Amino acid sequence: MGAGVALAPWLARPARADDPSELHPQPGDRLVFLTGPKKRQIIKPDDLPLGGPQFQAYPQSPDGVLRDGSRLNLLIVIRLDPASLSPTTLANAAADVVAYSAVCTHQGCPVNAWSEEQKMMVCSCHGSTYDPRDDAKLVFGPAPRSLPHLPLKLDAGVLVVAAGFSARLGGETA
Amino acid sequence: MQKLLSSTCLAATLAIGLAGLAHGADYTPVTDARLTNPEPQNWLMTRGNYQGWSYSPLDQVNSSNVRGLTPVWTFSTGVDSGHESPPIVNNGVMFVSTPYAQVIALDAATGDELWRYKRKLPEGFSALHNTNRGVALYGDRVYLAGLDAVLVALDARTGKVVWESKVEDWKTGYYMTMAPLVVKGKILVGVAGGEFGVRGFVEAFDADSGKSVWKTYSIPAPGEPGSNTWEKPDTWKTGGASTWMTGNYDPTTDTVFWGTGNGSPWFGDQRPGDNLYTSSTLALDGATGKLKGYFQYQQNEDWDWDAMNAPMLVDFQKDGATVNGLLTPQRNGYLYWLQRKSDGGIGFLKAQPYVAQNVFKSVDATTGRPEIDMDHKPGTGKMAQFCPGLWGGKDWPYESYSPKTGMVYIPSNENHCNKFEGKVEERVPGQWWTGVAIPDFHFSVDPKAPFFGEIKTYDVNTGAPGWRQLYAHSMMWGSLLSTGGNLVFGGGTNDREFRAYDATTGEELWHSRTNSAIIAPPASYEVNGVQYVAVQSGYGVDAAYQETLLSELLGWQADVPQGGVVWVYALTK
Repeated sequence: MGAGVALAPWLARPARADDPSELHPQPGDRLVFLTGPKKRQIIKPDDLPLGGPQFQAYPQSPDGVLRDGSRLNLLIVIRLDPASLSPTTLANAAADVVAYSAVCTHQGCPVNAWSEEQKMMVCSCHGSTYDPRDDAKLVFGPAPRSLPHLPLKLDAGVLVVAAGFSARLGGETA
Repeated sequence: MQKLLSSTCLAATLAIGLAGLAHGADYTPVTDARLTNPEPQNWLMTRGNYQGWSYSPLDQVNSSNVRGLTPVWTFSTGVDSGHESPPIVNNGVMFVSTPYAQVIALDAATGDELWRYKRKLPEGFSALHNTNRGVALYGDRVYLAGLDAVLVALDARTGKVVWESKVEDWKTGYYMTMAPLVVKGKILVGVAGGEFGVRGFVEAFDADSGKSVWKTYSIPAPGEPGSNTWEKPDTWKTGGASTWMTGNYDPTTDTVFWGTGNGSPWFGDQRPGDNLYTSSTLALDGATGKLKGYFQYQQNEDWDWDAMNAPMLVDFQKDGATVNGLLTPQRNGYLYWLQRKSDGGIGFLKAQPYVAQNVFKSVDATTGRPEIDMDHKPGTGKMAQFCPGLWGGKDWPYESYSPKTGMVYIPSNENHCNKFEGKVEERVPGQWWTGVAIPDFHFSVDPKAPFFGEIKTYDVNTGAPGWRQLYAHSMMWGSLLSTGGNLVFGGGTNDREFRAYDATTGEELWHSRTNSAIIAPPASYEVNGVQYVAVQSGYGVDAAYQETLLSELLGWQADVPQGGVVWVYALTK
């Protein structure tokens, strides 16, 4: 790797407490679609096709504040066959739905692509490819780490955040 | 539109001053006259001159003595990712830019650091390519196109920010990697983002104040000439035609030649029509930005074959007469001879393939318009293979023209293809929006091919091929530099070598193994009577990604080391 690899400078900065749209996902937050026919609507498990593709989402506070003020809050949500999930992935899932950070651990690009052929989540900048069934582990490309989990639970038929991200967010840069 | 940023934002950037220019008073301001007729001892712009030749007249280092070329100093940039900028040198002061929009000023003879500018990128920022391709010099300032689509003017003596000017909103997918172009008191920039559904443009800023002077979009709005080539409503708004490489300039007619990129998304059936001015060369009036003319290399683009490199301004012979010409090896694998018309327009003269290409059945002898083999045109839900693949016969690395040999030297790649199909995707501003995911590109090579990377050469007057250098175990990602010493310098291979060839015969005369692999353009300059050849070594970006694929396809080295170092060579005996 290159000399002088260090944390991206923005990682050292905490989310601003005075702007709830920039706060990282909080327990109890809902998830809302970023794209698609149900854009801006709260995600229910049945909204998601089994086996992918992934959908992009942002957290939303119970009182309706969309937390899209920081790109680091961008999420991937995907519904998978529970028999295909690793134990940790299953433990973080709710109603067969798994959520991950959508920020590539390589250089911070959105992991927004879905490979139909490999059934994998892909970063469009440099092709880092993550397995959604196995803790978003890297299967190809330059990213150094898995994507962090965002643990979920079900509340009255709606997906909500159960806890904060499982690992630090974002990419690395010089 | 453009606006000047506040002093608060200026404070968010960092200039690390060391000694600065101890001889600061001696810094030589860069003038229009100097840019028009650059001194041989300097390298004042990315390609050495406004014509874009990538040629140095210096001849102290030549084909007779180049074997004595030795590293005299190196400098580690401390930065990873792809280093793609040439050292820019003005009377003993060198400016190199690095990925993530840093600029380092160095004593060009000793390597002493004078100052460093580190741009602080915004929270959550990301870009497809983190690279930078060089700074521009004018007056006593250094101009940097910030990765986050902000143009920055630095004091050449101290590295301190003089002004910043927002070019576009990075959150919508715009970013900048090219070196700015100086045109009579204005700083011209273009934008990247062709994979994100931006609408390209070239914008000129006043060099002194940073205020916008003109802005010309590379896709016409409804009602403007060419808008009828966007047959589906609103596709022009997100149609691409990015402007991600630096243009060349004809001061005699005040005409700027600037290249444009692919259409967005990649699949032409989603944006029916010819899609002007994607994959084109634009001829723009330097004073006003008004479009004087254009040439489009392929219509309704499908192959990610940007026409990002501006043609070189080369006057060649045709039918016994000298033509004010443009010469350009395009990513589509064809070498074009074009004409600079007296009104600033562009005329087509001829084109010939310089690598094997299976998409064009023919090229119209009058208009230059290709006839497309539809079997090799991918579409939405239509898988098709095409060769060369999306990285083209050559990607952005610079070809070189030597007026001494009358040859053009082309860093090129062959025996590779892609095969893909598109799907309709919803656009999210700032995100990849091509219609195909990277793992589904189906990059392939002919495993029996005797070579992949190569240097090809042609006589600019006759089009006759000259010598070739073939690389059996590497692609070629290195810009070339020809010199008055009858030499051609270049890196570009995965073996980390920097090489010198005899410009006439192609014989390899010298090589030097560097820290990483070289994808940056070399430059040459002179200080105190000593000629230097300089280049940054620092692998990354598309070359590294392609190498990863080739490690799987052909067993090539997957982990070519990264990290930038400036290498400076001279004769020591």
